[in-house]
Amino acid sequence: MSRFLGKSLRTKGPLFLHKILGISSESHNILVLSRYRRHFSHSLPHNTSNLVPSTGSLQIRFFASEAAAATTEPSTSDGLTVQGILANNWNILDENDGDWKSHATAIAQSIHLIKRRLHWEKLKVRLDMLSFQLSKEDLWDDPVRAGKISREHGSLLGKMKEVNAFEQELLEHIDMIKLAREENDADLESESLKALLNMRRNAKEKELEALLSGEQDSCSCYIEVQAGAGGTESMDWAAMVMQMYKSWAQRRGYKVTVVDEMPGEIAGIKRATIKVDGEFAFGYAKAEIGVHRLVRISPFDSNKRRHTSFAAVAVIPILGDGSTHVQINESDLRIERFRAGGAGGQHVNTTESAVRIVHIPTGVTATCQNERSQHQNKASAMAVLQSRLDQLEMARQAQFNAQHTQSLTDITWGSQIRSYVLHPYRMVKDLRTNYEVSDPDSVLEGDLDSFILSYLSASLDKDDDA
Amino acid sequence: MRLTLSSVYRPYSFPTLLKSSSFSTLCRPFCSSALSSSPTCVKPQVPLFLRQPIYSTKLCELKKWHDWAKGVAFSIGSTFVDSDNGPDSSLLCRELKWLMEDAVEDHSMIVKDDDSDERVKMRVGIEELYCLWKQRVQERRPFQYVVGCEHWRDLVLSVQEGVLIPRPETELLVDFVDDVVSENEDLKRGVWADLGTGSGALAIGIGGVLGSEGRVIATDLSPVAVAVAAYNVQRYCFQDKIELREGSWFEPLKDMEGKLAGLVSNPPYIPSKDISGLQAEVGRHEPRVALDGGTDGMDALLHLCDGAALMLKPAGFFAFETNGEQQCRALVDYMENYRNGSFCNLEIRSDFAGIQRFVIGFHQ
Repeated sequence: MSRFLGKSLRTKGPLFLHKILGISSESHNILVLSRYRRHFSHSLPHNTSNLVPSTGSLQIRFFASEAAAATTEPSTSDGLTVQGILANNWNILDENDGDWKSHATAIAQSIHLIKRRLHWEKLKVRLDMLSFQLSKEDLWDDPVRAGKISREHGSLLGKMKEVNAFEQELLEHIDMIKLAREENDADLESESLKALLNMRRNAKEKELEALLSGEQDSCSCYIEVQAGAGGTESMDWAAMVMQMYKSWAQRRGYKVTVVDEMPGEIAGIKRATIKVDGEFAFGYAKAEIGVHRLVRISPFDSNKRRHTSFAAVAVIPILGDGSTHVQINESDLRIERFRAGGAGGQHVNTTESAVRIVHIPTGVTATCQNERSQHQNKASAMAVLQSRLDQLEMARQAQFNAQHTQSLTDITWGSQIRSYVLHPYRMVKDLRTNYEVSDPDSVLEGDLDSFILSYLSASLDKDDDA
Repeated sequence: MRLTLSSVYRPYSFPTLLKSSSFSTLCRPFCSSALSSSPTCVKPQVPLFLRQPIYSTKLCELKKWHDWAKGVAFSIGSTFVDSDNGPDSSLLCRELKWLMEDAVEDHSMIVKDDDSDERVKMRVGIEELYCLWKQRVQERRPFQYVVGCEHWRDLVLSVQEGVLIPRPETELLVDFVDDVVSENEDLKRGVWADLGTGSGALAIGIGGVLGSEGRVIATDLSPVAVAVAAYNVQRYCFQDKIELREGSWFEPLKDMEGKLAGLVSNPPYIPSKDISGLQAEVGRHEPRVALDGGTDGMDALLHLCDGAALMLKPAGFFAFETNGEQQCRALVDYMENYRNGSFCNLEIRSDFAGIQRFVIGFHQ
């Protein structure tokens, strides 16, 4: 999954940028080289990278080609472009029908969708802006900012490069098929057709990957669930929702740790926080932010009446080491520990070592009670606090109230996203996408991916800026 | 307070429990029998989570035990809280979860909900689990003795009867030392002493914040404590950094007069008259020698003050844990008036609960 997005994130460090900057005056020549390569490659489609002599200039080529990509649209030797393929309205047949036009159209559609999901035009503008920043002489006067710019540049460039390469590959295979037909080379034709089919299958995966292209999508995250009003029934519902996420995360192979849990008096939880560790945990889980509604005959009602209860879900990204974190002053913190009164110290032997940290200037708090030492509880609570403050800062900077920047307390009880009905009929329905299934049990056991993906596609694909 | 067996437990669910006679011998005599053994051959117990998973139990049997234990925990309600500020049901339930984690090799198995015949590997037999939980709830045996370890700071320390279980408050003493040595390279390289080390918690914590040249000498009167501390020191590979010496307070430190860079201690500080009213986990199970500080609880603290003046090198640092505000004030008063000129920069620090808990300062 990470091949598409992750690779570029890892390999583009500040050092790489230094290299680029050191020889940026040569970029004009490189641009020419890049065009030359593209032109030349039509007649020599195999092993085109051999034309580029060293790895150093290989990286520079990518840097330069972003400008090229912005100006010229790649095409086959006879001028067919991705847009052109789409305009032909060729029929898309089943994968097993070996029609190159059908394959090409399916791939072209995927490329179109991927570009839309990545906000392609905005991406290009942003990339140009970042490149401009990088070319400034005084960039490294502020290393923190420079690092941030270079990371974002590397990440965006990686995404763009990947799509461009995919597009290029499609056109080259089409060229090969046409060439093979002219030359009556059946082997070459079937080989190229097979390559197109592989691309077509690959494209579906890339479409999904493009759903998770947000800046924090690859992060781990915290998931918080809070019971709505309604006593034991809604606390039980909150516990069911939390269990649903634990199972979902485990199915996806994420590591789940309970950070904080406030149990209800009779059953369920008042609120709880879990940490979900793994790539793209936030990207997926952010689709779950909002209020979840349950309708059922309450097992806690002796009169067997139907009840409606609510649970609110918040998801907070855990920014990686490379990101800029909000600086926390120790003096701004009030550290409290939950403990029954009394003399403390040697008088008391308790395994209770919960810690609550209050960030006085913002009033943001974090609690941890699940570790077995106070030291560890404090460390966990500090990590939660850091993420909350980072999130607050992102919201402040962004100024627009994107949904993932809402904290639990900000979620109004009106922002209902999904309804789970166990009685009088059985159904789970997402109110944003109208996606629904008739098997609530499997959903509550963590089978959430189809809900998440349908929401992510719906929310990204409706933006018409590609 | 004592609860009778029948009022707390469902009798049908533990058919293989030890007979009451053998059970009663299991808990309390640990301390005295361990102490009476020869000092050289005390063999520390291995904490539960480090034992080999040589036992195997059906998942449904484990489940049955877990349900029983949970029922026991819930039947307590707030009984212990009301009697002596002991654990309530929810705390016992959390301990139960931890006991499972320590006892079962692959505890991801536990989340499975079905009552299957699948077997799980365990570090203790299922009969012993019944026994351990019974000890925990009925005998009020401290949870840390039940599992043989205490999570303290980022360490997991072996503890057993005869050794004081390190408290969360005491974690702060290491932070104080960390603050001091991060600003003073000389102290960071020096020799520190932890007097009455018990499980070795402070010594190991401080060993972690000192520089590569820094060393710690940890002393304790109790051979059990020395053996357990040595075991813990070894587990964290600090044998070259931390030296253990058996003996009372400064007795084993005669060679260090005027040489110590720092001195820390969590000595017994509870006034003798308060011992009988302690929470059952503490009063019935933890070593009195580590708790009882004499008539006003200050015996050891005053002795430590006198010794500190003698043992610390100029500008050396000390930090002591006390019973609370009253002792902190009395100690500062004693240092200022009776040991006038020996110490400077005396400070009282509070624990996380806001109780004035520590006295810290420097030798002149």
